[in-house]
Amino acid sequence: MQAAGKTKGAIIIGLLPAILIYSVFAILPIIQSFYYSVMEWNGFSDMSFVGLANFQALFQDTLFWNSVKNNIYVVLASVLGQVPIALFIALLLNRKLKGLKIFRTIGFLPVVLSTVVISLTWSLIYNSENGLINELLRALGLGGLAQNWLGDTNWSMIAVCVTVIWQFVGLYLIIFLAALQNVPEEVLEAAKIDGASEWTTTWKITVPMIWDTIIVAVILCIAGSLKTFDLIYVMTNGGPSHSTDVMALYMFNETFSQLQYGYGSAVSVVIFFFSLILIFIVTKLLGRKML
Amino acid sequence: METTVKTAAGTQVEKRRGRKKPGWKRLLIYIILILFAIVNAYPIIWMVINSFKSESEFAVNQFGFPKEFVLENYQNAWEIANFGVLFKNSIFICVAATVITVLTGALAAYFLSRFTFKMNKTIYTFFIFGMLIPIHATLVPMFILMRNLGLLNTPITLLFPYIAFHLPITIFILTSFMKAFPKDIEESAIMDGCGIFRIFWSIVLPMSRPALATVVILNFIYNWNEFSFALVLINDPAFQTLPLGLANFAGQFTTNYGAQMAGLTMSLVPIVAIYLMLEKEIVKGMTAGAVKG
Repeated sequence: MQAAGKTKGAIIIGLLPAILIYSVFAILPIIQSFYYSVMEWNGFSDMSFVGLANFQALFQDTLFWNSVKNNIYVVLASVLGQVPIALFIALLLNRKLKGLKIFRTIGFLPVVLSTVVISLTWSLIYNSENGLINELLRALGLGGLAQNWLGDTNWSMIAVCVTVIWQFVGLYLIIFLAALQNVPEEVLEAAKIDGASEWTTTWKITVPMIWDTIIVAVILCIAGSLKTFDLIYVMTNGGPSHSTDVMALYMFNETFSQLQYGYGSAVSVVIFFFSLILIFIVTKLLGRKML
Repeated sequence: METTVKTAAGTQVEKRRGRKKPGWKRLLIYIILILFAIVNAYPIIWMVINSFKSESEFAVNQFGFPKEFVLENYQNAWEIANFGVLFKNSIFICVAATVITVLTGALAAYFLSRFTFKMNKTIYTFFIFGMLIPIHATLVPMFILMRNLGLLNTPITLLFPYIAFHLPITIFILTSFMKAFPKDIEESAIMDGCGIFRIFWSIVLPMSRPALATVVILNFIYNWNEFSFALVLINDPAFQTLPLGLANFAGQFTTNYGAQMAGLTMSLVPIVAIYLMLEKEIVKGMTAGAVKG
């Protein structure tokens, strides 16, 4: 349809509400964070311009680099945990067996639960006194292995990562299942006729045919685990002694506990670019369109 | 000719194999799947079952069913954590944000998908860019913005970020759906003298029902579960939502496990019920959301 006179007005009226809300509450904050990031400001008194001092301080702060390291740790755990487990289960589910639907339903369940519910449930599970894991170990006569899972710097990160993996395996499971259902059956049958074992068919035909989906899952997994905040905030708040601190948590605590709004904004800007650059690199590597 | 024979024979061989699949292999597959299901579901089931046990029973009997069902935990959770208020707030925010997001999003999607004008592509890209914004990078500036606008700690505070950050995925899903409608819908409607908004309301919106269902569910679940913005923008207990209230409650009563589990169970029930009823739609929506977002 052509935009003439009356239509033009309608278009403007129709788009305005969405553009307005979106610009003010999603785009403006990003722009503002650039502005605040070059200021020193405790949130109440006057701001003073400090140039790139916030960024300088940030890049010299070992706690910041510690949080970057932990973030990468979470990303690696997610990619190496979620994707293989989900693919393995999806391959098992992708056959004509009875009762498969129930496994899919159970598999996806954690994905719809709120992160807070998951974090609190797992905190109870990891509880050092009467958490599920320690009770299980004691019941099996392995009480010696019981740990203060979230309170011990040797275990806290592992415990958090297990929860992260548990939360999202179901998402990738469903994505893989959908892709597997699109693999034409004739191809698999042809392979069988040629005498290929199920193992060979899986590795030489099925997996290569859904390779694109696997790559997409890996990207999603990286992007998703970079965003980890709620889960760790509720489970450990970055502790003990910063062993589970990630970038978003570092930003949150620096800003709101230490009242450094300028500095916190600088961390926001770094997270923003970090995420965008990562998405850009991955999409470029795969030749996919970013938007 | 030869190929036909071969295929036919092949299908038969395959069929026979399918029937005579070695039992132990099938058994092994089931065992692995059942293990996976247990690992996936047991943490939740464990929590729900134990929410009905008294504190003393929880200490000695974690794995069995409760010897007697105790509702005291629920009473405690309801009273101490103010669950009634939390529920009311969560439902209000969730419903209001979802309705506004879907309506404004659908309207925008209608114009972006059905009309040609100069800025069309630019505006669409502008919206879709929102899916790339890491929400956590906006927590600090969002707090400052809302404080400047006098919008911290009000009953409608959370509506603004929730609507703003879910418009992109809503517009993305709806635009691609509406694009597929045949061109002559509007043409015949205009011949009948329908206005542009009338066409939207009485023709395009009803036709988009499947996609609308997807975005409504998606928005509802995201809003129901959202925590970070609530954490930063709300500290008045009167306006807290369930996730925030739960986290605060657990932080204050760290050793009252029973009440914690009761609270968690209560907040779990609505979402699990919705999930079991609308599984297909939810799975579709959330995977679409993930693949693009």
